[in-house]
Parts: sequence; structure tokens; C-alpha cells
Amino acid sequence: MLRKNNYKAIILGGSAGSFQVVTKILASLPKSFSIPFFLCLHRLKHVRSGFIEALSIKSILPVIEPNDKEHIRKGNIYLAPANYHMYVELGNIFSLSTEKPVNHSRPSIDLSFFSASYAYRDKLIGIIVSGANKDGALGLKSVKDMGGLTVVQDPKECQVKTMTTAAMDSTNVDKVLSTDEIIRFLRRLA
Amino acid sequence: MAISNEEVNLFINTVKNASSYNFSNYSERSFARRLDKILKDNQIDVYSLISKIRRDNIFLEKIVKDITVNTTELFRDPKTWHVIRYRVLSKLKNQRTINIWHAGCSTGQEVYSMLVLLKEMNLFDKANVFASDINSDVLELAKKGSYKYRFNINYLENFDSVIKTNPYNFEEYKEVSFAKYFTVDKQNDTIKVKDLLKNKVLFRKHDLVNGNNIFYTKFDLILCRNVLIYFNHKLQNQVFENFHKYLFPNGSLILGIHESMLGAASAKYNKRGLVYIKKS
Repeated sequence: MLRKNNYKAIILGGSAGSFQVVTKILASLPKSFSIPFFLCLHRLKHVRSGFIEALSIKSILPVIEPNDKEHIRKGNIYLAPANYHMYVELGNIFSLSTEKPVNHSRPSIDLSFFSASYAYRDKLIGIIVSGANKDGALGLKSVKDMGGLTVVQDPKECQVKTMTTAAMDSTNVDKVLSTDEIIRFLRRLA
Repeated sequence: MAISNEEVNLFINTVKNASSYNFSNYSERSFARRLDKILKDNQIDVYSLISKIRRDNIFLEKIVKDITVNTTELFRDPKTWHVIRYRVLSKLKNQRTINIWHAGCSTGQEVYSMLVLLKEMNLFDKANVFASDINSDVLELAKKGSYKYRFNINYLENFDSVIKTNPYNFEEYKEVSFAKYFTVDKQNDTIKVKDLLKNKVLFRKHDLVNGNNIFYTKFDLILCRNVLIYFNHKLQNQVFENFHKYLFPNGSLILGIHESMLGAASAKYNKRGLVYIKKS
């Protein structure tokens, strides 16, 4: 059922308690992993540098904060830049925006997920991990509604489970997985 | 998102026919999202919105203002200001005049940041400062120069970083008080620009989509930060061509930290870090 190259992009949202989950995932993706991977993570407004370096240390694949209108390329991990919303536009490019925070968040997970689900439809995997607010719930619902595959980190495992339970309340998610299971699942796509 | 592409296009065409505004080459998804939000905020569907826009020009202006984005802060991204100070303005200090244009100035924080910097560098009197925005409401706020204190405490941190320290020379430190230029009133939740910075700037309404030069002068420095992100690649390139026309040879263009010049216009500039310099 899950064929290689079936998916064109993966998008992951997280907030409080997500950093360790994300670094573990990035440390486990092989160099051959060729599906563009978008990260939309809440962080303190003033933590503008340092964060990407911390992720890069663990990641095997390059982690990039994209510029506006940058082309999406295979084999890269893209991190939504601090204090910007990150949209995926049709034609495989990003656009950034400084619109007001949504759910007190910029980047907003919902906005990134909405645009990615519109662009990739059933070729998108959406993942929500540990977090302390409800951002991402509507975004994951949009992934599901557009025919994409939805994954949530098992709330039992989350440091803060508000985000994952909100996502599960908003849509009928396809998979509830532990971090290790998420990694196994992603590695099969490589 | 509820709104379809066809509906967005219908809106864009209606506005185009009823006014001078043309949103055809805006970044699609973020524009659609903002339009969707306006529909929700006004509890109106796109067809009612369109018919109201056709009939009511004041309403059209209001919607256009709502759809544009006005985020700005004092000394936003201090790193950029260090570059402006030590890599751009420092090279202009022997000129007789310095012409600066803030293209898309929003509520004016960037403009007043520049004025503070010019004062501190003793360049204030020789500078001509111009500022424009598509939204006439934000221009009025910019002229007033009064901002909220709450949520903007980072203004003070940014100020210290840009005005007191020099990252290119760690031994340099200058004590300058925020109060020299701004009056902070916590009780009334305001940060007000002091009079010594007022009446320096020529504020004018201007839409970057219409490529004319409303100030009838050329510039040594154009700042256009986090404005062109709302435009698609094609329109961005057109604006870069226009900026090129309006810059003096070797004039500088500063974009937002996550913006870059892609496409044909980039051949007409040399990129030096965050600065695009017009080739002479």
C-alpha cells in the first residue's frame, strides 16, 4: 500500500517538548532520504539563531531556513524561519509572510499545513508531535481532508500532549505512533 | 481554507476593474488566506463582498487596507541595522546629501530607527528621508510616531544592540539612552517619538505595483524589507528593475533577512552580504 516515491512532501508541526523528538527523527533519516521535509516549530520569538544550528548538529540531511520564493528541493529539511509564516506555493516554492501571529504563533503550524495540503493533496504526510497549544489541529484536518496521510505522536509519549490530542479531536488520524515508530515509518519511505 | 482559486481571481479582477489596485501578481496562498480571513471577520461570502466592492469605493479601500500586512518594529533584525550602519551609511558620510527611501514603511518604526541612526552618526542634517506605503492609514500612524509599549519591549533591546554596540569592533561601546529619542509612558502604554525626529520625513502613499517614482529623485539607499514577500517572483523582479532605475550608481538596496533577489534583475546588482549594490 505504501509505495516508495508515492509521497512528495512531509510536514511536521510541534511546540513544547518537540525539540528532542525532532532531533531524534532528523538523526535517523538516511542520507538517501529524498522527500522534502518541512518543519514548523514554535520557538521563543527571540531565539532567532542557535535553533537551526542545534537541529543541524543532529541532522544527517541539511537543515535550511528557506528564503522567500526559494525552490523546494529533494533531500533538504526546511525549518520555518523564526517570526515568519511559511507557506508552500504551487510550483514547488515557498513564500514567507509576516502576517499577525495565528494562535499566538508565528510561524503558525496551521497556515503551513493548509498551504502544503493544498499544494500536495494526497501526496502529503502531515505529522503533529508534542506541543502545548492547539495550533496544527486544523492544519492536520486539512491534510486529511485533501487525502493526505496523517500521523500523530502518541500522546502517552508526549512531554506536552495538548497539541496531539487537539489534532486527534479535529480529525480521524491515520496513525498514532511513538517517536521510534515514526522513525521506522519514515525510513521505509527513503 | 474555504475559498477557491476562482473566487480569489474573481475578487482580484473586481478590485482591478474598480480601482488602481492590482493584486494579480501577489503570492497566491498567503493572499488567499488573508482574503479568507477577511470573509470570516466580516461574516460575508465572496460574492457579497465583490458586489459591495463594486458599489462602495470606501468599502473597497477598507478591504484593501485589511488585506495588506503591516508588521514592523524598531530596529527589527539588529544584524541588518549593523550592516546599514557600518557597511552602508559609513561609506556615504562624505557625500553632500544622502537620499533614503523606505519602500513599504508601514507604521514608521523602520523610518524612525533610521533617523536615530542618522542622528547618532551625525548624518541627520544631510539626509533626505522618504517613506511610502500602499495603506494611507498606516502612513497617518507613521506620521504620529506613537506606539504601544506592551508587547514591544524588544524595541529597547534592539535599540541597545544597534546604537550602543559595534559587532565589528567589540571594544566599542557608546552609552545612549532610549529616552534621548523616545518617551516611554508605561501608564498609558505608549512609546512616543520625540520631536527632534519629527517633520524630517516625506511620507507619501505609493503602490509598488505601479512602478513610477513619486519622489522625483534618485536614492543612495532603498529599504524594502518584508514587503516583496507578498509578491510573486515575476512582480518581485519588476520591482527590482524599478529600484535599479531609481538608485544612484553604487546605491544600496536592503531587503528582509529572508528575502533574496532571484531572476534576471539580479544581474544588475552586486550582492555584498545583506546588501544589493547597483552596478555602475
